[in-house]
Amino acid sequence: MMSKVISGNEAVALGVKLSRVKVIAIYPITPQTYIIEELAAMRDKGELDAEVIRVESEHSAMAAIYGAASTGVRVYTATASQGLLYMHEMVWWVAGSRIPIVMTVGTRAVGAPWNIWNEHTDFMSERDSGWIMTFASTPQEALDLTLQAFRISEDERVFLPMMVGMDGFILSHTKTRVYIPSQEDVDEFLPPRKQPYTLDPEDPVDIGNMFQPIDYMKFRHSIHLAMLHSIDVIKEVGKEYEKKVIPIGSYSTLNDSYKLDDAEYAIVSMGAWSLDVMQVVDELRKEGIKIGLYRIRYVRPWDEEDIKKKLGDKQGILVLDRSVSFGRGGHLYLELKSTLPEANIKGVVTGLGGVSIGKDMILPLTRKFIEGNTNNEWFYPSEVEKVELRNPRYIK
Amino acid sequence: MSLNYQYFPVSRPSEGGGGKTGNWRIVRPLVDLNKCIGCKACYLWCPENTIIPSDGKVTINYEYCKGCGVCSNVCPVKAISMVNEL
Repeated sequence: MMSKVISGNEAVALGVKLSRVKVIAIYPITPQTYIIEELAAMRDKGELDAEVIRVESEHSAMAAIYGAASTGVRVYTATASQGLLYMHEMVWWVAGSRIPIVMTVGTRAVGAPWNIWNEHTDFMSERDSGWIMTFASTPQEALDLTLQAFRISEDERVFLPMMVGMDGFILSHTKTRVYIPSQEDVDEFLPPRKQPYTLDPEDPVDIGNMFQPIDYMKFRHSIHLAMLHSIDVIKEVGKEYEKKVIPIGSYSTLNDSYKLDDAEYAIVSMGAWSLDVMQVVDELRKEGIKIGLYRIRYVRPWDEEDIKKKLGDKQGILVLDRSVSFGRGGHLYLELKSTLPEANIKGVVTGLGGVSIGKDMILPLTRKFIEGNTNNEWFYPSEVEKVELRNPRYIK
Repeated sequence: MSLNYQYFPVSRPSEGGGGKTGNWRIVRPLVDLNKCIGCKACYLWCPENTIIPSDGKVTINYEYCKGCGVCSNVCPVKAISMVNEL
């Protein structure tokens, strides 16, 4: 194990290389482009023994690795925003075909209007596709979760694809110290892939052909059960990872918490700004307010049991969302509300389209919540100038 | 731990997963066995795998043949003609 100062994108690229991936489909989209550039450079230098396919779109990227993965090799691609939306159809095909694939999503706002900055709406839009969905909060976690993702998705109890989310720019382009495991440790942790069926001319099979309604429903149910069983697999793999590969992280639970055990109030968040929330927690603790953080790491599977156990007794729960379901509120808020229907939960949507939200903004927001003045709202950190809109030209 | 919940949407290629489809046809391919040279081009091109090579010639499984006419088009010696079904 060694450590280096690298960005989230570089960390993910190193993770992919250490995983001994055999096929990579590359298509550039901000902010993940840097990952595939790194991988292409590694391949060029002969450090990476993989087939790198340059495709003409994200739809083709997913289709290409879907085909490659069907033959039983380990595959990878990365995307973001409009690219993920363009890939949407293939994302569902892969999950429905029960093909293990790992993909990084460098989250970014979705147009229109055009915006390249960070937001979680693209990631959350794939919530119901049957993929396991995890979200990193540091470049280190992005690397760790990428390595774990291959193990989890290829486990015989799971066999589902997995996407690793990472805040665009905030994690993808910011350099911090990252511990990088040795190839030997990763090889021991991540054995070559096995699959119950493969595309093989000697023993042909059809994948994803037509199914009668009752069989189709049975397959859908099977995906649901595999998703539920993956909770145990994630914990198992996480424990092994923190013991054998990098002995610093904490991966024995799906979601992470900070100063939550004795807390009366809780903040729920996901991704990079969770670290700002930790500072807010520290600040408020100094003032004698008992508050803690519950950090969502896995959106799917949803660890209902753990959430009920850890948050069920809190006086108030504030959910920070960087994504929105229009007319309803933030995605995490809705998930939390359905898990704990009786609890006092307030949701705040903020930070959309790269609006910078740090400790100084979350602190007054949290104070307001503790005073009981927050009622599911949108938070703007500064005055919004009125945008001059064009008057409609009515047809006479 | 039991893996009984795991099912995969995989099937073996076989005839008639969706029932017999020969009644979809409005024209039928008819092989002139005197002209057939047994090159198996029709066998390779048939999208439904309904052409059966036998004794150096070919026969057609009409229960699944949908009458698309691909075989007739690819036959190099024009041994397959599409005739009206009615």
